[in-house]
Amino acid sequence: QVPVLQTNSGPGLTGLVTIAAHLVRRARKEQLLGSTAEEKAVVQQWLEYRVTRVNGGASKEDTRTILKELNMHLEDKVYLAGNIFTLADILMYYGLHHIMVDLTVQEKEQYLNVSRWFNHIQHYPGVRQHLSNVVFIKNRLYTNAH
Amino acid sequence: MGFGDLKSAAGLRVLNDFLADKSYIEGYVPSQADIAVFEAIAAPPPADLFHALRWYNHIKSYEKQKASLPGVKKALGKYGPADVEDTTGAATDSKDDDDIDLFGSDDEEESEEAKKLREERLAQYESKKSKKPAVVAKSSILLDVKPWDDETDMAKLEECVRSIQADGLVWGSSKLVPVGYGTKKLQIQCIVEDDEVGTDMLKERITAFEDYVQSMDVAAFNKI
Repeated sequence: QVPVLQTNSGPGLTGLVTIAAHLVRRARKEQLLGSTAEEKAVVQQWLEYRVTRVNGGASKEDTRTILKELNMHLEDKVYLAGNIFTLADILMYYGLHHIMVDLTVQEKEQYLNVSRWFNHIQHYPGVRQHLSNVVFIKNRLYTNAH
Repeated sequence: MGFGDLKSAAGLRVLNDFLADKSYIEGYVPSQADIAVFEAIAAPPPADLFHALRWYNHIKSYEKQKASLPGVKKALGKYGPADVEDTTGAATDSKDDDDIDLFGSDDEEESEEAKKLREERLAQYESKKSKKPAVVAKSSILLDVKPWDDETDMAKLEECVRSIQADGLVWGSSKLVPVGYGTKKLQIQCIVEDDEVGTDMLKERITAFEDYVQSMDVAAFNKI
């Protein structure tokens, strides 16, 4: 199912990222798309990743790969684009929610950086909306060296 | 609280561990808490402590806005994992705090004096505490003692129960409560000192009167 946006001004728009980016610009929150050329590119990269790799119906194998890749990427970054909160974080959060909800405690610790990032994003004001709060326990149970 | 000595490798490791599943020192937005810890670190953490490094680089990017971040900067010992000992000590705080500066301007002397004063006060508090008589923990227990049948002599049964003596056990009032078919159970109150008497002991000794007592239950147990 691909979302479609129908507005009074202009043609209808199709596609998750297209609509989201359009709404961001309309709301004058362009910083959510990145400020510098590099930042914008990184945001685009993760938006593309979100649409092509993270969609409902991914196999268990794919899910594990996605989590591993994100975990590696987030090792030295607070947000997907580095130091700024962007649309990439928002859409990735929504895309990953159904996966994170089903992870075991051990898996959440295995993908520690994704868990850290996810917990951070879900507390960002206005992001979580109606989605359930995924619980991450404070004291790590499986402390093996990363 | 606190991370230990953040200028040492051990302190940085504590910080690294703490930040593994957190983006910020406190809460979910950068705040004065992050600035406080950031300023305590001499140089960027080494690459193997990658959580600390990630956090360090992130907070560094807020350098220009650091005065406007929310929160109030507290002493370093107030942040971090709860089970780490606060080693920040009085020495670093006393420089700013005029109140402790009662014994002269020399820093070394001052912290010695302050330490001595603290020890004295601690000793005084301890002695005062030990002089207070210890409050004995007591409980009020309501026991249900059931006889074999309605033929059992309830007066004798009560006598047997009250004959149980123990240090810290005081028997209270009792009454007979009918349970049906003419049979009555004895409900008796007793006050016990928790350390001296337990319900197991009571149960054993009461049910020892096999001629009269079929069973005993604790109907109510209240701490006084």
